[in-house]
Amino acid sequence: MRIIQYHTPRTRSFYPASSLGRSPWSGLETEIDRLYNLALSGATKPASAGRFNVDLYQDENNAYVRAELPGFKRDAINVEVVDGYLTIEATRESKEADHTSEAKFRRSLALTDEVKADGVTAAYQDGVLTVTLPKKEEAKPRKVSVAVK
Amino acid sequence: MNFINSLIPSLSRTPVVRQGHRDQELGDTVEPDYEVKETEEAFGLTVNLPGVAKDGLEITADDSTLRVVGKRAWTRPNEWTSLYRETTDATFLLELDHDNSINAEKVHAELRDGVLRVSLPKAEAIKPRKIAVS
Repeated sequence: MRIIQYHTPRTRSFYPASSLGRSPWSGLETEIDRLYNLALSGATKPASAGRFNVDLYQDENNAYVRAELPGFKRDAINVEVVDGYLTIEATRESKEADHTSEAKFRRSLALTDEVKADGVTAAYQDGVLTVTLPKKEEAKPRKVSVAVK
Repeated sequence: MNFINSLIPSLSRTPVVRQGHRDQELGDTVEPDYEVKETEEAFGLTVNLPGVAKDGLEITADDSTLRVVGKRAWTRPNEWTSLYRETTDATFLLELDHDNSINAEKVHAELRDGVLRVSLPKAEAIKPRKIAVS
């Protein structure tokens, strides 16, 4: 992908193409390249349409949610547990030359009964938010030794 | 055949490759979201690199390309089992052609909270210039 998607060729008007040893096709070819690159790079996809990616993990004691939230201030990220749903909300203000625009990202995840609502912690590092949700005691795997008589 | 190739050079070239492919050294790569803005003096490049720390970031600029490689700082601990994934562990790779339009020596980059901001000052040659008429 080129850093400048398109700019008007500068040299073409000064020299006839043949005197530079260039094929008369090269202009067309560059243009076709540009279109192919544009189509293949997925440049048409929206950078992020109000949604961010999350991963879910678990181990013996906790469940973990990792959310990709690059470039947010810590106090602009809001994590809530309400009625069995974990909601992650993040806002970002971007300043243009004359106005500021606000982007809001929000996702809710349903929690299972295994998770304790209190004791939820969250950490933000390198643009990734990790939410740790402790499991209830009864949901943890238990080891019972049975004495054999 | 050589004559035809010289007439239509595209016949002798390799086809365009989709970005975000398997790289020989890096393994699976994915192209990050990015944005390029232009002012009179410089290009501003913003790249979203969630999960990339300073150590895993590598920016190289040569005469024609700017290459950003971001390796993820975090790896899943062994005890963690993944239940559901939307992200990948693939390394971020972004390659931008600049055709010598930037001053590679004055590139300035800053990585904060997974967002990389690079300022690429324009090369003197492409800046608009006023020519005095004598």
